[in-house]
Amino acid sequence: MSRMLLSPFVKFLFLEGVEQNQKGEVVSEKQNKYKHRFPSSSLYLLPHISSIFLCNFSLHPPPSISSSLSGPADIDSMATIGHNNLNAKLVLLGDMGAGKSSLVLRFVKGQFLEFQESTIGAAFFSQTLAVNDATVKFEIWDTAGQERYHSLAPMYYRGAAAAIIVYDITSTESFARAKKWVQELQKQGNPNMVMALAGNKADLEDKRKVTAEEARVYAEENGLFFTETSAKTAVNVNDTFYEIAKRLPRAQPAQNPAGMVLVDRPAESSQAASCCS
Amino acid sequence: MFGTQSTRDISFEFQSQIPNWRPSIYTRRANITVKFQDLYGFTVEGNVDDVNVLNEVREKVRQQGRVWWALEANKGANWYLQPQISSISEGIALKSSLKLSALTNTITLKRLIRKGIPPVLRPKVWFSLSGAAKKRSTVPESYYNDLTKAVEGKVTAATRQIDHDLPRTFPGHPWLDTSEGHATLRRVLVGYSFRDSDVGYCQGLNYVAALLLLVMKTEEDAFWMLAVLLENVLVNDCYTNNLSGCHVEQRVFKDLLAKKCPRIAAHLEALEFDVSLVATEWFLCLFSKSLPSETALRVWDVLFNEGAKVLFHVALAIFKMKEEELLLAHQVGDVINILQKTTHHLFDPEELLTVAFDKIGSMTTNTISKQRKKQEPAVMAELDQRLRRLNSLNEDDK
Repeated sequence: MSRMLLSPFVKFLFLEGVEQNQKGEVVSEKQNKYKHRFPSSSLYLLPHISSIFLCNFSLHPPPSISSSLSGPADIDSMATIGHNNLNAKLVLLGDMGAGKSSLVLRFVKGQFLEFQESTIGAAFFSQTLAVNDATVKFEIWDTAGQERYHSLAPMYYRGAAAAIIVYDITSTESFARAKKWVQELQKQGNPNMVMALAGNKADLEDKRKVTAEEARVYAEENGLFFTETSAKTAVNVNDTFYEIAKRLPRAQPAQNPAGMVLVDRPAESSQAASCCS
Repeated sequence: MFGTQSTRDISFEFQSQIPNWRPSIYTRRANITVKFQDLYGFTVEGNVDDVNVLNEVREKVRQQGRVWWALEANKGANWYLQPQISSISEGIALKSSLKLSALTNTITLKRLIRKGIPPVLRPKVWFSLSGAAKKRSTVPESYYNDLTKAVEGKVTAATRQIDHDLPRTFPGHPWLDTSEGHATLRRVLVGYSFRDSDVGYCQGLNYVAALLLLVMKTEEDAFWMLAVLLENVLVNDCYTNNLSGCHVEQRVFKDLLAKKCPRIAAHLEALEFDVSLVATEWFLCLFSKSLPSETALRVWDVLFNEGAKVLFHVALAIFKMKEEELLLAHQVGDVINILQKTTHHLFDPEELLTVAFDKIGSMTTNTISKQRKKQEPAVMAELDQRLRRLNSLNEDDK
């Protein structure tokens, strides 16, 4: 749990009784040999699932009370995860070697390779997350980073619901490149796109060239959600995807269910509003 | 095909789950996954069926070798190296000076090559057929050595990118992923980046050059193969600054798919699935990253003899082979899964090439050239418009 709680962008309030909502099941759907299933009790992803419940939704009262408050439909969606299914196209953009593929590999397979094959064109992955009342199926396009591949990018970000713009905290060049991507997406991308700025390789603190503060200010100015990640140590990787899943516009949002709201995220609320709805 | 992940990276909790998830997920008939090295040293991960197919393929390669030796006994040594009526230049009027025997040899050779060049003859046959030998003969003997010496120690944007990609090119390969392999691949790529500064280095070439190195006996021959590929065999500007040639090929491919596989094309269009999403990598890496090595090399056998149109044949065949399955897919993700699973498991080259050439039907280099000409203006206009839009973004910034 502890590493998840280090996330700079999320403050949590822990209350008792949260566990009852942890029905999440995460299914990895990368097509090839690594296809596997994490049972709901998986130590591996559970902390992140719980983090979503904590920061997004209020604590649901017991079903009997809930039915009187929110109606049977709400009960239904709580009971059967998968009732509210959301497909979301997500694209990763960023400079060559910033670690786009590594972030995806970490998220989809829970692995890290010191040397990840360079991506040509783009690679496709999918991963389904259970977020309380819904499942979000990410269709992830991990694009090639070399500058000349830029001309292919629109094909991949067209119609994308979310984007993660990745830079390498040890390279100012890659940060400059990330800013260009942000600009381009703001002008050309889907206007409701949820955008995250991820400073990757956060484990290489001694080689850092881009300060977190600089990036955070930039992200705030541009309405992005900012995080520093390490695909190597897994810090903030899953959180980033969960945060995006959470911010995606919903067809049937359980935004204001009756009950206490246990969210304490003052710094985030304004940005979330601009991204989500 | 190139599964190289090492178990040390997998967390302990994850490992403990392996026995639980594996059998429940593999719905294939054979549940056991085997890992082994193929003919070219790549780690292959497949099930028992795949292993059987690979063994059959190996046997077929041996048989094909015997066919080549028999022909050599009949027609004389190196008969296949004699001047060809190159299919690459087909359409140019046949010179009257050509003898009938040369013509029959060309036809025999074309058929023979579609059945596969024995791995041991590959370096010799490719070097001659592709035109690499001719290209090399126009420069002094020492060209390659001089080039590599002259550029040694120079640092450019291209060399930095090459250095970055060396360990990321087929990582885990027993030769490519060694310091010797890296150094050799580096010399070839850096050398080429100086030979053609318009191309410099384009990601994707690392895979192409790596596979060339594994096939050709010497790095110099691999260098010339790379040169002839980029300068003669493939369409121009596939790898230059905005990949315009690649964009053209993708548009041509879409037209061909609509023509040759209309049901698939219509279905995918309804799903808003752009075939370039997957086909771009096929064309830029010449299938080296998606097909098992022997299958990819069989494609290259034909590519060097018949020209870039072969890439269309093969790409169309991959769709065609899975027509029924693709028509049942209703999500983009499913389409991609089908295509990726298909390409990764195409251990039998015969299966692919039969569809590519018999079922797809003939396409001449001429008609494809015409199609390219037709698409070029639109691609250029689009890229130009995009560039201007991006430039205006930058100006806004100032």
